[in-house]
Amino acid sequence: MMMRRTSPRLTVGLIILAAFIILGGVLPFFSPEDPRSWIKHPRNLPPSAEHLLGTTNLGQDTFWLLSYATQNSLFIGLIVAFFATLIGVFAGLASGFLGGVPDRVITLLADVFIVVPSLPILILMSSLLQGRASLLLISIILILFNWPWPARQMRSIALSMRERQFVNTARFSGSSTLQILAEEIVPHIFSWSMANFVNTVLVAIATESGLAVIGLSSLEEATLGTTIYWALQHQALLGRRWWWIGSPVVAIILLFIALFLISTGISSLSAERRGHGDA
Amino acid sequence: MQFAKFVVTRLIAYVLVIWIGITVVFFVPRFMPSDPVESMLGRIMTRGAYMDAEQVEAMRATLTQAFGLEGTLADQYFGFLHRIFVTREFGPSLSLFPTPVNELIGRALPWTLGLLLSSTIIAWIVGNAIGLLAGYKSRWVSSRALEIIAIFVYPIPYYITALILIILFIHLNPIFPLFFSIRGDPPSLEFISSVIYNSVLPAASIVIVGFGWWVLSMKALSSSISEEDFVYFAKLKGAGEGRIMTAYVLRNAILPQVTVLALQIGVIFNGALITEILFGYPGLGTMTYNAVLQADYNLLMGTITISIIAVATSTLVIDLLYPFFDPRIRQR
Amino acid sequence: MTKKSRKALLSIIVLLAVVLFSTALVTAQEQTEVGTPRATTLIVDNLGGRVDNPTQTNPYQAGTHQSAGLHQLVYTNLWEINTATGEQFPALAAEMPEALNDDFTSFRVTLRDNLRWSDGEPITTADMAFNIDMILNTPEFPYSGFLAQVIDNYEVVDDLTMILNLKRSEPRLAYTLGVHIWGDNFRLVPKHIWENEDPATFQNYPPVGSGPYTLTDSDPNGNWFLYTKREDWQHTDVGQIYGEPGPEYVLFRFYGTEERRIIAAIQNQLDILTDISPEAWDILRDANPNAAAWHQNFPYANFDDPCERGIIFANSQEPWDNQNVRWAMALATDIKSVGLATFAGILRVSPLAVPPVQVIHDAFHKPMREWMTEFAFEDGYQPFDPNYAVDIAAILTEQGVEGLPESEEALVDLFGVGWWKHDPAKATEMLQAEGFTLQDGAWHKPDGSPWQITINSPSNFEVQSQRLAFAIADNWRAFGIDATVQQMDSGTFWSNYSNGTFDAGSYWPGCGALPDSWDLLDQFWHKRHIVPIGQPAPGNAMRYESDALSDILDQIAPLPSDHPDTIPLLTEFEKQFIVERPWLPMFGTSKFVPVVTTYWDGMPTADNFYEGPWWWWSLFKYHMPFIQPKSDG
Repeated sequence: MMMRRTSPRLTVGLIILAAFIILGGVLPFFSPEDPRSWIKHPRNLPPSAEHLLGTTNLGQDTFWLLSYATQNSLFIGLIVAFFATLIGVFAGLASGFLGGVPDRVITLLADVFIVVPSLPILILMSSLLQGRASLLLISIILILFNWPWPARQMRSIALSMRERQFVNTARFSGSSTLQILAEEIVPHIFSWSMANFVNTVLVAIATESGLAVIGLSSLEEATLGTTIYWALQHQALLGRRWWWIGSPVVAIILLFIALFLISTGISSLSAERRGHGDA
Repeated sequence: MQFAKFVVTRLIAYVLVIWIGITVVFFVPRFMPSDPVESMLGRIMTRGAYMDAEQVEAMRATLTQAFGLEGTLADQYFGFLHRIFVTREFGPSLSLFPTPVNELIGRALPWTLGLLLSSTIIAWIVGNAIGLLAGYKSRWVSSRALEIIAIFVYPIPYYITALILIILFIHLNPIFPLFFSIRGDPPSLEFISSVIYNSVLPAASIVIVGFGWWVLSMKALSSSISEEDFVYFAKLKGAGEGRIMTAYVLRNAILPQVTVLALQIGVIFNGALITEILFGYPGLGTMTYNAVLQADYNLLMGTITISIIAVATSTLVIDLLYPFFDPRIRQR
Repeated sequence: MTKKSRKALLSIIVLLAVVLFSTALVTAQEQTEVGTPRATTLIVDNLGGRVDNPTQTNPYQAGTHQSAGLHQLVYTNLWEINTATGEQFPALAAEMPEALNDDFTSFRVTLRDNLRWSDGEPITTADMAFNIDMILNTPEFPYSGFLAQVIDNYEVVDDLTMILNLKRSEPRLAYTLGVHIWGDNFRLVPKHIWENEDPATFQNYPPVGSGPYTLTDSDPNGNWFLYTKREDWQHTDVGQIYGEPGPEYVLFRFYGTEERRIIAAIQNQLDILTDISPEAWDILRDANPNAAAWHQNFPYANFDDPCERGIIFANSQEPWDNQNVRWAMALATDIKSVGLATFAGILRVSPLAVPPVQVIHDAFHKPMREWMTEFAFEDGYQPFDPNYAVDIAAILTEQGVEGLPESEEALVDLFGVGWWKHDPAKATEMLQAEGFTLQDGAWHKPDGSPWQITINSPSNFEVQSQRLAFAIADNWRAFGIDATVQQMDSGTFWSNYSNGTFDAGSYWPGCGALPDSWDLLDQFWHKRHIVPIGQPAPGNAMRYESDALSDILDQIAPLPSDHPDTIPLLTEFEKQFIVERPWLPMFGTSKFVPVVTTYWDGMPTADNFYEGPWWWWSLFKYHMPFIQPKSDG
C-alpha cells in the first residue's frame, strides 16, 4: 500500500496543539499580572496592540485570561482523559478476559456509574462542597464518571476478540498471554482508545464548562468554561463583544479539532504499521 | 441453559444497579449543607416578604413537619424504598408544596422523552450511515467533506451550539419562537405543529452534536474494520462492495455503536439538562436543575430515580439482545 | 445511499418550511401569543420564573407562587403601602386599625363598603372571620402558627366592623396583618367558595379573589398567566381609590434567561421588565428607542429597593468579635472600585443600618451626615469620607458618562452621603495593634496562622450581591488577606445564614421601606433572638450580642410609628451601630426595572413618581389605573 510517511493531519493537529501548549503551558508564567483580578484596565476595550484580545467588562486583559483558562482546561481535560482511559481500558480488558467474579464486580460498578446521570450528581456535589469544588476535585469526580465507557467498550471488544481467529491462531502457536496482549490486542484497541481519549478530553472540558455555564464550577478560577460564564453574565453575546465571548469558544473548538486530528493521524499510522507487519 | 443463566445474572445485576444508584441518590443530597425548609424560608425572604422572628420560627416548625423530615435517616430511607418499589409515588414536592411529585414528573416526562428519542434516533441513524460510508469509502471527496464538517461540529458543547442557534435563528433572523409557547389542546393539529415548531432548535442542538460524534466514531470503527483480514479475504473471494460494507463492515461496527447508544442515554440526559435549561424546555432536565437549586429532595429523588430506571432498563435490554447481534458470544 | 439521504433531508426541509410558514401566518396579526389584542394587553416579565404547578393558586400553601400575578392582581390585603409617600393606607380595610386600649391588644377593624368578590358576592366580616378560623384550624399552613401567636379571639360587630383581641401587644398591627414590604400572608379568600373544601389540599383554581383582575387562563407549562380586568372593577378597593384600571388584559410571561428577556423587550414583546443587569440595560437602550428606565438619564436605575447590600461577619467568632477588626475591614475597602466593579458605579452608598431608599435617606442618612463627618475613634481619627458622591461623579465623567448633576447636594441625593475612607495605612495600624502581622505582603492572625476569609455569595441569583462578593474579595486580596468567594445555591446560602455557619457573607440584613423600621432592626440585631451556632436562628443570624443596641430597640418597641420619640431613638440606634460596626452595609440595591412604552404609557418613573416600580409586589394593582394605552398621536 502506501509508503510510511507522516500524516498531514497529524502535523496540522500537532501544530495547533503546540500553539495551545505554548498558550496554556508556557505563556502564563510570563503574564505581567494575575489576569483573574478585576479592574486592572479600562473596561471593554476592543483588541489593540496593547491588549491583543481587548479587555473584559471586569477590566481584565482577555488574552492573558485566555492563557490562564487554557492552562486550567488542559489540566482538567488531560488528567481526566488519561486516568479515565487508563483505568477503563485495564478494567475492561481484565473484565473481558478474566471473566468470573472480577468481571461481575467491574461490570456492576461500571453500570452503576453509567446509570446514575452524572450532571445532577456533579451539581449536588458542587453544593455539597459548598461551591468551592477545586479543579482537582472536579477532575476526580469526572474520572469516576468517565472510566466506565472505555471499560464497557473494552470488555465487549475483549469478549468478541477471544473468539477471533487471529487470537486463536496466536494461542495455538504457543504465544504467552502477555505476548498476545502486546502484539495483537494492543494495536487493535489502540485506535479506539485514542478516539476515546479525545472524546474524554472533550467530555471533561465540556462537563466542566457546562457546570461553569450554570454557575457551579470553581468560578474564581479561569477555565474556558468560567470565561464563557462571566462573558454571558455580562451580556457579551448581546453586546457583541466577540473578543470576550468568542475567544474561549474558538479556543475550545480549535483545541478539539487539533486533538481529533492527532488521534486519527495516530490511528491511521498504526493501521499502516499493522498492515506492514501482516505482509 | 447457558442462556438462561446469562439472563438471570443480568437481571440480578439490573436490580443491584438500580438499588445502588438510588441509594447514592438518596444519601448524597441529605449530606448537603442545604436544607429544604431553609430554602423555602430563604426564597420567601429573598422575594422581600417581611416576617418577624416569631413568624419565621413558627413557619420553620410547620414546614419541617409538613415535609416529613422528622424521622431518623434510616426511617426516611426505608420509607423511600417502600414508596419506590411498592406504592410507586414520591410524595409531595417540597418547593412546590403540596403538589405531588408524580404529577410534576408526569407532565415533564413526555416532553423529555419526545425530545430525546427523536433527536437521538435521527442523529444516530444519519450519523452512522454517513460514518460508515465515510469510513469505508474514505478516499471519496464527499466523505472527506462530511468528515470535516463532523470534525467541526462534534467538539462544540451542547450549550454553545444552543447559544449559536439562538443568536442565529432567534435574534438575528427571528424564524423560531423567542420562547417556549404551546397553543391549542393536545390532539389538535395546532398543538402538534406548535410543539414541533418549538422543539426544532433544542432538538437541532442535540442532533448536531450527536451527529458529529456518530460520524466520527463510526468512521474510525469502519475504517479500521475495513482493513481487517476477513474483509480483505472477502474482497479476494469477489464479494460485492455493497455486501462487504453491510455484511462485513457494518455488522462488526454496529455492535459497539449499539452498545454506546444504550450507554449514551445517561450522557444525553446530561446534555438535555443544559439544553432544556437554555431553551426553557419544560422537561425533566429543567425540573432536576430547579430541584437541586431549591433542595427539593422529593422532586430530585423522583427525577433521578426515573432516569436511573430508564437507563438501567435500556442497558438491560441491549445486554439481552447482545447475543443476537454477535452470535459468537452465545457459544460461551 | 447518498441520493436517498439527500431526498430525506429535502423532505425534512420542506416539512419544516410548511410548519414555519403556517405559524408565521398566525402571528402576522397584532395579537399576543395567547390570542388577546396586543394593544389592550400589558405584558409583564415574571420575576419568579417558570411555575411548575400553575394550577396551585391556594394562597396559603407553602409552594404557591404568589408573584406570577396572584398577589399583585387577584388577592388583596387589609392594609397596603405606598412607597412614594412612605405611608401605609387602608386597602380592603376602610381605616387604619383603631386601638381600643393603651397596651395595643384590642383593635377595631372596619372593611371598605361595597366591595365584592370577583364572582359578585359581597365581601363582609363573615369572610374575615372565616379566614381567621380557617388559618388557625389548618396547621398545615405555614402561616397558621404565626397567626395563632397573635390573635386570641374576635367579635363580629356588623357586616363591616369587627373587633380583634390579641394575645400580645401589637403597636404596629398594620405591619403585622398588612403589607410593609413586598406583600403579606394575610390575603382574604371568600367563605362561600372555601367553606366546603379542605383548605390544606384545596387547589383553588381558578381563584375567586378581591383584586381588580381575575385569572382567566394559564399555560400548562407555567410560562404564562393571563389576567382579565373585572367588569365590576368599581367594587374593588383599587377602583374605589384610583378609578378604572387601564389594561384590559395583563399577561405575566416568563421568557427565560436574561438575554432572552432583553430580546423580547427589543422586539416589543414585553412592556415591563424586572431586575436586569447594567450591561443588559445598555443593550436594550441602544436597541429599542421606546425603552425607558426609572431615570431618563444616568444612572437610569431605581435606588429604592428596600434592602441594602454589604458584608456580614460571624460576629460571635474570632476575629470578628473584635470591633476594631471590623472597622479595619471598612478602611481596607476601596468603596469606589467596589462600586465600579459591582454595578459600574450605578449605586447609592449607605453607612447606616437602614437602606438609603428615598424616604429613609431623607429621614436618617442626610440628617446624620454632619454627625458622621465629626465622628472620631478614641484616638481622634475621623473615618468618614463625605466626598464619595463628588469623587465618583468625577470618575464617571472621565469615563464618558454624561448628564450628571452639578451641585454637591444633587450628587449626594444621587450617590449617597458618603462612606468610610479607603485608608490601608490606618487599617494596617489597627490590625497590628490587635496582634495581626503582615509577612511578605500576607496578613497573619494573632496566633500566627495565615488569615483566610471566606465570603458566602449567592450563585446566579441576586446578581448585585454576587458581584459585590467578588469585588470585595478582589479588594481585600489587594490589601493582603487571602479572601475567597464561596458561591451557593439559595438553599445552602440561607441554611448557612440561619445556622450561623459562615465566616463572612454577602447578605442584606438592612431592610426597610418606611422611616420606622424598628421591626426589621429588631429581627436583625436584638440579642434575644440569638441561638447557638448550628441551630437555625429566628433572627440575628449574625449572632451579634450587644446590650446597647438591644436596649435601644426595647425602648422603641412599645411606641407606635408616629410617636415623637420613635425617630430620635432610631437615630440613637444608628449612632451606636456605627460605633460598634457589626456589619458593613455598602450600597442600596439598584434595580434596573425598565419599561417599553411602545404600547403603554403611565408606568411610574422618577418624573412620574406616584409609586415605586415594584411590579412583583402586591402594590402593583394600584399602578393599573395609571397605566393607559398609548395614543397613536
